[in-house]
Amino acid sequence: MYIIVAFITALVLVSVIYYTGNWGVVRVRATTTTSLYATGLLDYLSNKYMKQHPDTRIDFMPVGSGEALRRAGDGEACLVLVHAPSLEKEYIDRGVIYYHRIFAYNYFVIVGPGNDPAHVSNATNIVDAMKKIYNAGEAGKAKFISRGDNSGTNVRELMLWKKTGLDPNDRKWYIVSGTGMGQTLVMADQMNAYTLSDKATYLKYLASNRIHNLKILYSNDTALINIYSAYLVKGCNGKELERAKGFIDFITSSRGQELIASYGVELYGEPLFYPANNKTSLADTWSKLVKGLDP
Amino acid sequence: MMDELLGIITRSIIISGTATLLASTWSIPLAYRLSHKTRAGYIRSILEALVGVPTVLIGLLLYMILCSQCPLGLLGILYTPIAIVIGEAILVTPLITAVSLYEISRVRARYGELAQSLGASDRQVMEVVLKYSIPGIIGALLMGFSRAIGELGVALIVGGNIKGYTRVMTTAIALEVSRGEYEEAILLGLLLLLIVAVIAVGLRMIRGGRD
Repeated sequence: MYIIVAFITALVLVSVIYYTGNWGVVRVRATTTTSLYATGLLDYLSNKYMKQHPDTRIDFMPVGSGEALRRAGDGEACLVLVHAPSLEKEYIDRGVIYYHRIFAYNYFVIVGPGNDPAHVSNATNIVDAMKKIYNAGEAGKAKFISRGDNSGTNVRELMLWKKTGLDPNDRKWYIVSGTGMGQTLVMADQMNAYTLSDKATYLKYLASNRIHNLKILYSNDTALINIYSAYLVKGCNGKELERAKGFIDFITSSRGQELIASYGVELYGEPLFYPANNKTSLADTWSKLVKGLDP
Repeated sequence: MMDELLGIITRSIIISGTATLLASTWSIPLAYRLSHKTRAGYIRSILEALVGVPTVLIGLLLYMILCSQCPLGLLGILYTPIAIVIGEAILVTPLITAVSLYEISRVRARYGELAQSLGASDRQVMEVVLKYSIPGIIGALLMGFSRAIGELGVALIVGGNIKGYTRVMTTAIALEVSRGEYEEAILLGLLLLLIVAVIAVGLRMIRGGRD
């Protein structure tokens, strides 16, 4: 009996201490695309930011860009970090998000089995690369895994197919996996399939030995650019808004941009993300992507 | 859209049903054997603890056995429905065994010992005990099926949520949520709930006939 009473008392005490420990802390709810979070970049940046604002906690919810924006629309976030320009535009037009700042970019790459049955590595341009995969797929020599989850990567992949004028839907070799980027890479590796990936997630999974056969077979500095944007969400206010805005200003400041540029270089041998301040044409490129034009 | 939805529902039922039947082929004999032991209390506790094992853990362990560089990689069953069936069968084994053991032990105490005292052979005792345990065992199987059809971790990790192939109700719900399509996720969720509820009512009716 005494043991039970002591146990309950201890439980109550612990929870009281736990909750009072968080008094005075400003929590910022942030939804973010998985690639930014899984690479560790956001934790790295937010830790630096919290050094300046020790009373701030940024709670990242790593989800696909589609869900990240949807949650923002439901008022469940104050800060959004995504990479799906055409989706972003819809939410800007609906008045859900504002204060658009491009803070980083990198590239999408086509990865596939090392022996490259579709000869994607000989492709002259991205449309040619996609066509080669389509033809090899039809010939039964290759498979392609699509995320199918309305994420930024998935949106871009569908845009690329549209440019080829071919429709891979319902083809046997076109596998719609509906999984996150990391697991899709693991699946492509296991199934000897091609897929479109952001370069950062690919490098991370390669370095941590999660994938073995997948190689980068096609990359392109202009056609496959991948732009990451930050937004504030309408309806968010008070200190949370102030700190969310502070975070966006921090990652777009020269110090924040330096941190982005150097992140991961030691571990992966090359940067995972490039700072937006070294490329002036990003806003133009972003607008083109919204309209589905070639970047 | 409707075709795909029907496909997902039938696929879920077939996969989880096969998994439950597969698990029963070893769970029920195991439960019967354990019911012999008068001091099976520890084993029973362990089984009951294993009922709550996280589905993602089983999915991950199975992945580490089935992946192409892994011990059973040559089988090539990763990202196929077979992998989900195996994973779910492992998942529901403790549940089916624990519930069956409880039922069989009860029946054995009531009828088995009586049969034995009347001079029945081991085989005859088994026939009597199993015959009267059938409603309880069916209940255990339906509980196992509910657990299997409602789990996400195994289906996502070793199934891969491939459209038209390994996409089941729970992985489809998770996907619709990640796409921001909450309405479709809710529809699928309600259908899943309906299936599980129908099973629960069926369970009640089977047990109601006895108690």
